[in-house]
Amino acid sequence: MRRILEVDGEDVPVWLASTREGHVLHMGEREIPCSLEQAAGKGAYTLELSETRIPMRIAVSESATFIHFNGRAYEIGRTDPAEALDKAGSGASRDQMLAPMPGVVVSVSVAPGDAVKEGDALLVIESMKLETTLKAPRDGLVAEVPFAAGDSFGGKDVLLRLEPQEETE
Amino acid sequence: MSISKLLVANRGEIAARVLRTARVKGIKTAVLRHPSEVDSPAHLIADEVVTIDGPTPVAAYLDIAQIVDVAQRIGADAVHPGYGFLSENAAFVAALEEAGVTFVGPTSEVIDLMGDKIRARAFVEERGFPVAPSAIEDDDPATFVERARAVGYPLLIKPSAGGGGKGMRVVREDSTLETEIETARREGERYFGDGRLFVECYIERPRHIEVQVMGDGQGNVVHFWERECSIQRRFQKIIEETPSPALSEAQRLDICETAAGIARAVNYRGAGTVEFIYAQDGSFYFLEMNTRLQVEHPVTEMVTGFDLVAEQLRIAAGEGLSAAQADIPQNGHSIELRICAEDATADFRPAIGDILLLDEPRGEGVRVDSGILDGGKVTTDFDPMLSKLIVHGRDRAEAIARARRAAQDYVILGVTTNLAYLDAILDHPKFRSGDVSTGFLAEEATDLTQDWDPANTDILAAATVLSDARLVKALENVPEIYRLMGSWRN
Repeated sequence: MRRILEVDGEDVPVWLASTREGHVLHMGEREIPCSLEQAAGKGAYTLELSETRIPMRIAVSESATFIHFNGRAYEIGRTDPAEALDKAGSGASRDQMLAPMPGVVVSVSVAPGDAVKEGDALLVIESMKLETTLKAPRDGLVAEVPFAAGDSFGGKDVLLRLEPQEETE
Repeated sequence: MSISKLLVANRGEIAARVLRTARVKGIKTAVLRHPSEVDSPAHLIADEVVTIDGPTPVAAYLDIAQIVDVAQRIGADAVHPGYGFLSENAAFVAALEEAGVTFVGPTSEVIDLMGDKIRARAFVEERGFPVAPSAIEDDDPATFVERARAVGYPLLIKPSAGGGGKGMRVVREDSTLETEIETARREGERYFGDGRLFVECYIERPRHIEVQVMGDGQGNVVHFWERECSIQRRFQKIIEETPSPALSEAQRLDICETAAGIARAVNYRGAGTVEFIYAQDGSFYFLEMNTRLQVEHPVTEMVTGFDLVAEQLRIAAGEGLSAAQADIPQNGHSIELRICAEDATADFRPAIGDILLLDEPRGEGVRVDSGILDGGKVTTDFDPMLSKLIVHGRDRAEAIARARRAAQDYVILGVTTNLAYLDAILDHPKFRSGDVSTGFLAEEATDLTQDWDPANTDILAAATVLSDARLVKALENVPEIYRLMGSWRN
């Protein structure tokens, strides 16, 4: 069960596993046993991590988790990689396609100047070991493909730009 | 006359604060609300909530005709303006007067006088109170350079039509005065289409010290001691305290008596604040007078034990002041923090969001004047100040310790606030020693950004995934073998 968290401006890919002994958080090469217990009070919890017990307050929104502990409030961005990749091809802007999270370009099937039709495969990316094909959101001309196969990109980088649509007269 | 029904023509924390005192005094209350606003503490306290409309929410609160009409319609015999909005608007006071509704504040003449910086300054100077030495070119252009020279160095040249620091030049020696005047004149012409100038003495590392005054309009004026408000960001106060750590007892009496004297000179009625600029050498000069209750009035209440809103209502009802000067103590030390929805790590960008969890600090000497409720929403329709945290301690060190503890205990989740930034200021060695000026935040801001503790990343990541209900539930549904593998795939 993977998530990409945004902690202090950095993307932190994690996954959570469960064993007979409880939950284990995997971060990079590290495996951290942890558990979370509800406590008295709205949003009050006790986190047990590496044998320390940390009281905290937690509030969860659609895309972020807010945590108050040790006298400070933090906002942690939360992305489900499977969902984010599904949405990647249907981004809000119809002129540019943004990376939903950091990853690597697997292949590029178009070049600047190419005419594409809505739904055409443009490039294949891999993030969190999941491959996704990005498709053209509309008919148009490719303006820019900033990354080549093998390049890595950051979250929210522009992966492809189409020529702006001409105004109808 | 006595007040039987009070309309509070304001919103947010100050509306709630005024309403609380009115209720305690047994006065019926009403408050305004724009349709875009979510529930706030004021709406829960008031007996009546009246909807007002306008092209923008702020415009509604500035609509004199509409608010006077509301007061008449609901039968309010007095209006408390809070601070901001119409609190220093002479036309509003005149309109209420005409409608037969009492304005809780001074007369429109005093508001007019003090609202005009040049007139107010001339008025104060003519009566022998200290104003910063200055020379205004318009008074007599032929002698301007001569009069500027008499102000002394360092001095500051400002375009008469100016604002926002444009065209201002500091001159430190006489040899450059005339060329700097010519440069400032060219800049004034370029920026404002107006080359007229004025010169005033430049005060290095000044403090902002102000004095709370209260008058009955019958010639009686008392002061409620000073407040120091030097911790400012872009001219906006964010931490205030009393007593000022800068003043000796003799200076304190001097500055407080000066303020009371200025208020007496205008036969002041109601609560007001006389602001001074205080130089490192102990001299101080009149800056301006605010003819209303200030945001930071609670620190004064904490050390004097007086409810300033109750005093305002007494005076408005013609009952006069409740205390003589000798009855007004200054006990212990109080600090106020302004909690704002803004991101101190991103150039103080205003923050918006839903308040998902709110838990205010409590305890000895802790007061919270809040404009938000749990489950509320923060938008950019109004000022970003959400609430004020006020603490009291026996001395400054105890007040700082209590302010830090309370700021750390204050839980606001769902919207970014400046709580951590405020706590960092309280912990700064220069703040602790009281060695501050109005330039403190600009000079020391780099010292206030804190290093990230890598241990936090583990804690936050673990808490985030373990509180992710969808993730934990999905994990429970995974067959044992995959769970052991952590559903990893290669």
